[in-house]
Amino acid sequence: MSLAMQQPDHDAHPFSVAARQFILLVGKDLKIEARGRQTIGLVTVLGLLIVVVLGLGLGGGTAGGFGATAVLWVAYLFSGVLCFEKTMAVERSESALAALMLTPVGRGTIYLAKLTSNLALIATVALVITPAGVLFFSFDLSPAPFAFAAVMTLGIIGFAAIGTLFAAVVSSTRLQGGLLAMMIFPVTLPLVIASTQLLLDRFVKGLPIGVNGLGILVAFDAIFLTASWLMFELVLEP
Amino acid sequence: MNRIPSKLIRAYWIAVAMLFAGASILTAKYTPNETSMGVVQKIFYLHLPVAINTFLACLVAFVASIAYLWQRSAWWDDLAAAAGRIAVQLCAVVLATGMIWGRSAWNVWWTWSPRLTFSLVLFFLYVVYLVIRSSIEGRERRAVIGSVYAIIAFLDVPLVWLSARLLPDYIHPGNVSLPELAMKITLAVWFAPVTLLTVGLIATRFDLNRAQSLAAISKAASRRPEIRSASAVKVPTILGPKAMGQTEGVL
Repeated sequence: MSLAMQQPDHDAHPFSVAARQFILLVGKDLKIEARGRQTIGLVTVLGLLIVVVLGLGLGGGTAGGFGATAVLWVAYLFSGVLCFEKTMAVERSESALAALMLTPVGRGTIYLAKLTSNLALIATVALVITPAGVLFFSFDLSPAPFAFAAVMTLGIIGFAAIGTLFAAVVSSTRLQGGLLAMMIFPVTLPLVIASTQLLLDRFVKGLPIGVNGLGILVAFDAIFLTASWLMFELVLEP
Repeated sequence: MNRIPSKLIRAYWIAVAMLFAGASILTAKYTPNETSMGVVQKIFYLHLPVAINTFLACLVAFVASIAYLWQRSAWWDDLAAAAGRIAVQLCAVVLATGMIWGRSAWNVWWTWSPRLTFSLVLFFLYVVYLVIRSSIEGRERRAVIGSVYAIIAFLDVPLVWLSARLLPDYIHPGNVSLPELAMKITLAVWFAPVTLLTVGLIATRFDLNRAQSLAAISKAASRRPEIRSASAVKVPTILGPKAMGQTEGVL
């Protein structure tokens, strides 16, 4: 891997070195995924199944399709957790992470790269699940499609920020499965509460998107991006 | 390790028990009944101090976790673990008293009102902290992961509070008011035993954790004789400070 070959380049600005490392790391993750398509297929089908199971379980009992936001969140949460687990598991195979940690790459850069790959994956999944959820629950997006997209995007960014950190935590303990979901779910509850309330206000009551709710989403993203970026180095272990 | 004499500890607990008894007698005899809710309203005098002490226990866990990540001493981790456990226990009391209040005031055991939701999420955040700790084998690893989680959980608390306030609140009063001076005095009195109980519980749990981790260290040392002379054997590692922590307590 070319990262290991990189000599400290005294002319290059440290920022541009970090940017190059970041692009290499994200490119590597996406290339692995594009060649194997191991995660995306699995996760998309899981997300769709969750939407279908909840759709059948609720039996159209949610008036006006407003259960869709909650159902979508459940689908995002479960498929997201699987995404985070898989992208970290890639680093476990052939002790790739140990090799990566020996290279002079900042731990913060590794975090941002992992976060970006996770976001790319979960965005792809969301692009499939969201239309399905909207369709199955006949949720009328037309009053404010952009508000819906903005709220969900902010929510997913915060969720991925936490998920990337905790996936690194869990992958080093040989404890997989339930533990990661259990760590992530309670912490992301403010996102779920704030975004579903915002969307209910917008679509059911016809109120404009409140600054308060949006502020919570932005604050969540900012706090946990910073905290995870700072603490990632502590939990990373080959 | 300097231990506090057991006589002092016994005196402390007797004092806490007497304060609880005194506060209960005060609440029963001196404090007037609230007009609309009657006698059930008196549970509030326990509810609020416990809620505030829950928050204090979470704060202790947060500070101890930061200190652990900074100093890498198992002492701080034992303190964080003790505070986290007591926070869960106190939060359970907050939830129980809140539900009894809700049943009596609004005739429902549970409703997704902001305050109840907030206490429930807080409860889960710290229950997960305990579960994570109990499911990780290595002491070092458990301490690091526990600290990272405790910091994240505490940063999450204000966000949970703010987001819960977005939930529609049909029944909760904005603020619980205590119209009479006697009620305010009772509330103030109740803070003393509850706070002392919290401090005592955290200290007791901390003492136990401390004994456990010291026992684990000496057990590991007896199994692997090379650790006994650890000062001579510095294991080279790319993750410098971790190896140091392993030998601590033996030296």
